[in-house]
Amino acid sequence: MILDRTQPPAFQAIQEVRLPSLDAFTLDNGVVLNLISVPNQPVLRLECIFDAGTWHEQAPTSAFFALKMLSEGTPGRTSAQLSEYFDGYGAFLELNSGPDRSSVVVYCLTKFLPAVLPVLCEMITESTFPQKELDDLRNITTQNLRVNYEKNAYLAGVLFRAKVFGPTHPYGRSQNPEAVDQLTRADVTAFYERAIKNRPFQVLLAGQATAIEVEQINRTLGQLPIQHTQLDDVSLPALPNDMMPTLAEKEDSVQSSIRVGRRLFTRTHPDFFKMLVTNEVLGGYFGSRLMKNIREEKGFTYGISSNMPSFRRDGYFLIGTDVKRENTQETLDEVHKEIRRLQTEPVEADELNTVKNFMAGEFVGSLNTPFEIADRYKVILFDGLPADFLTTYIQRIRAVSADDILAMTNQYLNADQLQEVVVGGK
Amino acid sequence: MIHYEQFVLDNGLTVFVHEDDSTPMAAVNILYNVGSRDEDPARTGFAHLFEHLMFGGSQHIPSYDEPLQKVGGENNAFTSPDITNYYITLPAANLETAFWLESDRMMSLSFDPQVLDVQQKVVIEEFKQRYLNQPYGDVWLKLRPLAYKDHPYRWATIGKDISHIEHATLDDVRAFFFKYYLPNNANLVVAGNVTVEQVKQLCEKWFAPIPAGPAYVRQLPAEVTQTEARHEEVSAKVPLDALYKVWHMPGRFQPGYHTADLLSDMLGRGKSSRLYQRLLRDNPLFSNIGAYNTASLDPGLLIVQGTLNEGVSLEEADAAVTAIIQEFIDQKVSDDELSKVKNQAEATLAFSEVELLNRAMNLAYAANAGDPELVNKEAELIQAITADDVQNTARQVLRPDNCSTLFYRRSDEVAA
Repeated sequence: MILDRTQPPAFQAIQEVRLPSLDAFTLDNGVVLNLISVPNQPVLRLECIFDAGTWHEQAPTSAFFALKMLSEGTPGRTSAQLSEYFDGYGAFLELNSGPDRSSVVVYCLTKFLPAVLPVLCEMITESTFPQKELDDLRNITTQNLRVNYEKNAYLAGVLFRAKVFGPTHPYGRSQNPEAVDQLTRADVTAFYERAIKNRPFQVLLAGQATAIEVEQINRTLGQLPIQHTQLDDVSLPALPNDMMPTLAEKEDSVQSSIRVGRRLFTRTHPDFFKMLVTNEVLGGYFGSRLMKNIREEKGFTYGISSNMPSFRRDGYFLIGTDVKRENTQETLDEVHKEIRRLQTEPVEADELNTVKNFMAGEFVGSLNTPFEIADRYKVILFDGLPADFLTTYIQRIRAVSADDILAMTNQYLNADQLQEVVVGGK
Repeated sequence: MIHYEQFVLDNGLTVFVHEDDSTPMAAVNILYNVGSRDEDPARTGFAHLFEHLMFGGSQHIPSYDEPLQKVGGENNAFTSPDITNYYITLPAANLETAFWLESDRMMSLSFDPQVLDVQQKVVIEEFKQRYLNQPYGDVWLKLRPLAYKDHPYRWATIGKDISHIEHATLDDVRAFFFKYYLPNNANLVVAGNVTVEQVKQLCEKWFAPIPAGPAYVRQLPAEVTQTEARHEEVSAKVPLDALYKVWHMPGRFQPGYHTADLLSDMLGRGKSSRLYQRLLRDNPLFSNIGAYNTASLDPGLLIVQGTLNEGVSLEEADAAVTAIIQEFIDQKVSDDELSKVKNQAEATLAFSEVELLNRAMNLAYAANAGDPELVNKEAELIQAITADDVQNTARQVLRPDNCSTLFYRRSDEVAA
């Protein structure tokens, strides 16, 4: 029989996702350890996650500096000794400060966890914030920012978030050289004292780890003193209503970086999944309407996409691309044209089906490693989402209809609701 | 440790199967043994442009992406100086869709002029986005021709110049396809929730009918040993002066590679490295400094690069780096320092095998280099390295007359 290569093989649509369970342990000091045990490689990731992001900053960028400085000195070890210690075991340390949370993260071979833990405890409870290291970090940060602010895409992101939330809002402000310059050592230590030292945190442990590693953690991180007091709420500026397009002219740029979008909502919003599918159709994947039009038909860009960044207390929608400078206005017009199409013509069953299948496959495929699984669980552990958020994810996507997409685009994506930033030229 | 089975189809396609039933997914990786080093010097950037065309429809399937998205699969590809690699991850239950799509485009493309026209534009925008419209984005367009005078690594994978991409014709595309995109010039790795038996059957059905072609025999000019230090300066509107120094070193699977790799780690990997501790912390000449290597199959480059602090001259920074380099030539490294970089390498290797797709790619890469088992020998090779090996390699690689230096100066226009 001759093979008919025009006919696609039969396939199955994914309906469900099976996830390794999250095992919770309470350590001696009340800290909760969540374990995802997947023993495929002799490695693990340990995260200590604090309720301490830019949201809790009193001085801008103090969270970033407080976290980065944790590895710059303790009473027993200098900055050089600390990095020598972690590097010596081939352990990678990450000190992250996000909008909502901060984390101290170690990636290491499971066999070296006992060596790493005591030093991790030292950093969390006894950091000394030496002035020389702070000045060095300030200098490095400023120089990196100077390079980043020269990148159109970076600057466009900064300007767009400031436009949506306001330049001083925790979700709207970006690190900038002025804030770095003005930050004092007292600002940094104040953040540390208030939000990290002796504060409650959660442990998220993923990889090759069992009861043995849990016990090692209990004997170290589980013995740290914890004070369960409420953090003062920060006062928030009013949200701006800046609907005027922003153009940051860059004479020498051969491309423009475009951002179009708006404030949206959190993952708990009843329209979240409807918008998620709408976003996917418009610009969420390689076969999206925007990719097909702007890249695959017109060749104006290497890529265009839309996204729904979602935080604990808010979220936004944005379309982003870098396009040939001469095609900037035409791209903006086409973006609005594609949105109008979604507002007026229902998405055909075949396309919608492809999008849902793709989203389901992408979701299952994004749960391939213990670290990815742990990351997915974070929205349940920290953002107040229900325990079945991940296991019902696919069925909620499947439930979205073509009518829902019409309704979503008409409710949320009208031209007069969308804000615009262009860096480059029109 | 990556376990696998292998077999070869009659048309020469080599197939590797890595079973892992802990995941519901499958990864399908096809590596074509062609990269930008195989290009005509007058038509550079072609291997990469061609990679874009592989998504523009094949003989029996007008759209590559859509049928894959429909079954919940994702795909991408990349071109390097050495290879062109295509990969899919999809639910294992839909594995056959990957075989259908990949075998059709290995058999023949659609050769649609419209696809060529649009992808030329897309690649030109990619060229601008990555190499022209970024501070320091063009540095490899300068460094490659400085370091390589004979070997085709002297041009970047994106191409020497945008005009090369503009001038590509459909005849070039056809000739390239039938020369390199052959079952006997590729390897296939299937990994994940699959069985060897199942993969064998699917290979017989979809790939076996594709005819083999004349074997491609690579005959590239070897780089003549560099005997004199090279120096070049460029200036552009960048925020800070930057220093780049490169030395020729062994290829990815050649003897001495891992020693040179560890050497670059001691120099500039992480905050405990010598360059960071000495030239960023103790004597803050740089605001950013590191070392790495290109890990290319033919002899590659060890790179030290850094951005300078305000008020520091490139000459002063260069002299300071050179002094630290000289220490590796003059003195043996300590056991502690050697054990540190070995631990780092061991951890990196273990982490690189966590992801299914990475395991598939690592296997494909080693197999293409001549021996799939290389993928499982690396840990041992790294552990066997001694302090004497490091010093010998430093003496061979870090010679001043094996070095090319690029001063990337900030032009005055942006002094404000």
